Amino acid sequence: MIELIDLSKRYGNTLAVDSLNLRVPDGEIFGFLGPNGAGKTTTIRMMMGLLQPTSGQVILGGADLAANPLAAKALCGFVPDRPYVYEKLTGAEYLDFAAQLYSLPDSVRNARRDRFLDVFDLGSWGDELIEGYSHGMKQRLVMASALMHEPKLLIVDEPTVGMDPRGARLLKRIFRETAARSATVFMSTHSLEVAEELCDRVGIILQGNLIAMGTVEELREKAGSHADCSLEAIFLRLTGGEDDASVEALLA
Amino acid sequence: MTAPTTRNDVAGAAPRLLLPPARGAIAPRGFLHWQRLLLSPRTLAVKNRYRQYSRAERLRAAGFALLGVAFGGAVFAFFYRALSYFLSVPDFGPVLTYKLLGMVFVTFFSILLFSNVVTSLSTFFLAHDLERVVAAPVPMRRLFYARFTETVVDSSWMMLLFSAPAFLAYGIVHETGVGFYLMTAATLPPFLLIPAAIGVSMTTTLVNVFPARRTKDILLILAVFSIALLYMLFRMVRPERLVNPEGFADFTAFLNAMQTPEWTFLPSTWATEILFPMLGLRAGRPYFYFILLVSTAAVAVMACEAIVTRSFTRGWSKAQEGRQTRKALRPLWERALTLLTLPFQSTTRVLVEKEIKIFFRDTGQWSQLILLGALIVVYVYNFSVLPINGSTLATFYLKNVIAFVNLALAAFVTASVAARFIYPSISLEGRAFWAIKTAPVPASQVWWAKFWSGLVPLVILGEILVIATNAYLQVMPFMLWLSTATLLAMCFPIVALGLAVGATYPNFEAENAAKVASGAGGLVYMVLCMSFIGAVVTLEAWPVYVVFSNRFSDTPLSLSAWLGVIASLTAVAVLMIGVFGLSVRHGIRRLERLEL
Repeated sequence: MIELIDLSKRYGNTLAVDSLNLRVPDGEIFGFLGPNGAGKTTTIRMMMGLLQPTSGQVILGGADLAANPLAAKALCGFVPDRPYVYEKLTGAEYLDFAAQLYSLPDSVRNARRDRFLDVFDLGSWGDELIEGYSHGMKQRLVMASALMHEPKLLIVDEPTVGMDPRGARLLKRIFRETAARSATVFMSTHSLEVAEELCDRVGIILQGNLIAMGTVEELREKAGSHADCSLEAIFLRLTGGEDDASVEALLA
Repeated sequence: MTAPTTRNDVAGAAPRLLLPPARGAIAPRGFLHWQRLLLSPRTLAVKNRYRQYSRAERLRAAGFALLGVAFGGAVFAFFYRALSYFLSVPDFGPVLTYKLLGMVFVTFFSILLFSNVVTSLSTFFLAHDLERVVAAPVPMRRLFYARFTETVVDSSWMMLLFSAPAFLAYGIVHETGVGFYLMTAATLPPFLLIPAAIGVSMTTTLVNVFPARRTKDILLILAVFSIALLYMLFRMVRPERLVNPEGFADFTAFLNAMQTPEWTFLPSTWATEILFPMLGLRAGRPYFYFILLVSTAAVAVMACEAIVTRSFTRGWSKAQEGRQTRKALRPLWERALTLLTLPFQSTTRVLVEKEIKIFFRDTGQWSQLILLGALIVVYVYNFSVLPINGSTLATFYLKNVIAFVNLALAAFVTASVAARFIYPSISLEGRAFWAIKTAPVPASQVWWAKFWSGLVPLVILGEILVIATNAYLQVMPFMLWLSTATLLAMCFPIVALGLAVGATYPNFEAENAAKVASGAGGLVYMVLCMSFIGAVVTLEAWPVYVVFSNRFSDTPLSLSAWLGVIASLTAVAVLMIGVFGLSVRHGIRRLERLEL
């Protein structure tokens, strides 16, 4: 479903993503991990056509994003890291708007809008302007908008940041159900607990390079960790933040 | 025996992350320190932005500077020509010089007042960074002066920049010497401070007095207030008196009346009275007016400080309440407006409907329509009172010349409105634009949706200006048709150019449309628009002159004249199609490549 070929992005003198190669099959929940500034969001934004790659290719569902952006985008649902939305629309209007961008028929759109407003606990807020929503509510609304057209590929940047435990649990269920329908979920996250619990495979990016990829077990082996070692320990070992030495060095 | 374990001992097992508490009192900090500190986010941002510029960006910045200089040069040329001409007219020349100076200051004052009211609402109450500063232990007076400085700079810099060539022209034409320039430099700061102080005080009072559950109400009141003020100031200049000296008992009375200030207690009059005597055209009391201006500015700023320091906290709190939830208003007319979108294809319709809904729910946007209404009323009213009936100047010739100049003016007004409403429309998508960018919707469709949403109202506005004024002028049918058709055709490139420049210089961080419009891109757009309008009007001037002269002398057009007219009008058509086509192509391409 996802194929990234030699994907790079350079900001001035900084190479944010360096020749990234990645393939994610249908029906997989893929976790994209990395420390702050590693290149996760840049990669995701390139995958969604929000940033132009300096070089390389993004292929989504067989469609080259550069050559055939509309076909590629039609397959995707996107949830950005920060839920910027049109504050002067109501929640229901926003869902309608999002659905119509994907040419959903009216009857399907209405049914899904009402359903998602209820599922995401926004039922009584549907006719309120979004400017009055809390951060978590906006996040839920954006998630609902991404699901309106039943995407084959759900790309989510930091899904659980700012969500309450109830929202986070709801999200996990949604991801599982999405994958069960053979759709792919690609998510970047800092929550290693979520990644460990949900993801079929995990990729770790550091300074723009994919330094490890595989199931949690495979990563455990790669990191030389013992069997009950958590993903957090593996992550810290692979990304060089395993002990506090670097913090001490900073404070010295 | 072991000592009891303390919290420090526990922490001692791992290296301590936090530094030990600081000892000693924090030294009290002075006024300048606070100002530097509170303004540092702005100054550092400017410095950092410049530092991070690549070579290409620096070149682009230099290009902007050059454009600015060219525009300044044009302003200078206009004033130089006008003032030189005035100087050559005996008796009447000084009157015109005085009137022009008065109009410059009155215009500045009214624009500055409105601009300060709008800017201060943002700098004092709505800016995103305020939360951080208000939550910190910053003395209120310090905060006031920092925000006041920001307000003055934001609302006055452009005015200051473009007024400089005008004052330079006054000095050069009248060979004034250094004293005039020094006096101008001394007059402008207090002149800028007065409208700023009034604007900030008005905003603060309104935010406090009215239940600021919605900023909408305040903006609405401010808008209506500004209309009344603008209207009054405009009428106070009494421009029609310039062309109708017959209304006065005799010419001397006319000249005396013209040189008498309309409203002696307006700071714009004081500024005029300071600078005009220094041109050497008549005596006056410049130092008296200068002291009046400076002392008023000082009192106004202090009064403003008193108002803000006493009522800021309450107003700020109310402004926060204004961000609470509210139901979407779905009045009948909004639904009716969406009916207008029926001719569009479904996705375009969705996008156009979104544009309409967001526009009419954003008070900062729709309240501007009231101002626009006032502008049209004042504009058309002025034509209705032009003394062209029965007067010696009221000739067929004059009417049609005015009608032609009016075409350029109406186009300029239309372009200004486009700069405020259409140019910022891409930037106003803000960070929410990702939803459209990631959807399977071609950039061209988004572009055309914005184009039609902007074009229809702009055409209506432009045509009202041209048709209504031409009706008052009772121009010949050729002029009426030419003006109407030219303005209609000009709206297409004006809107397309606005979107193209808007997509080239997007500012997704801007808090409101006014901020977008006042940026560098807005300046580029206005310069391009004025060049385009200038070119169209210049190309049409000749055919108008030919048709007109023949009508005047009642002779038919010769073949060569016909060919010339056709060639000129073809050139106009080519120019319009060219600008339109290039703008559409460039705009859509920029929209496709826009990065978020």
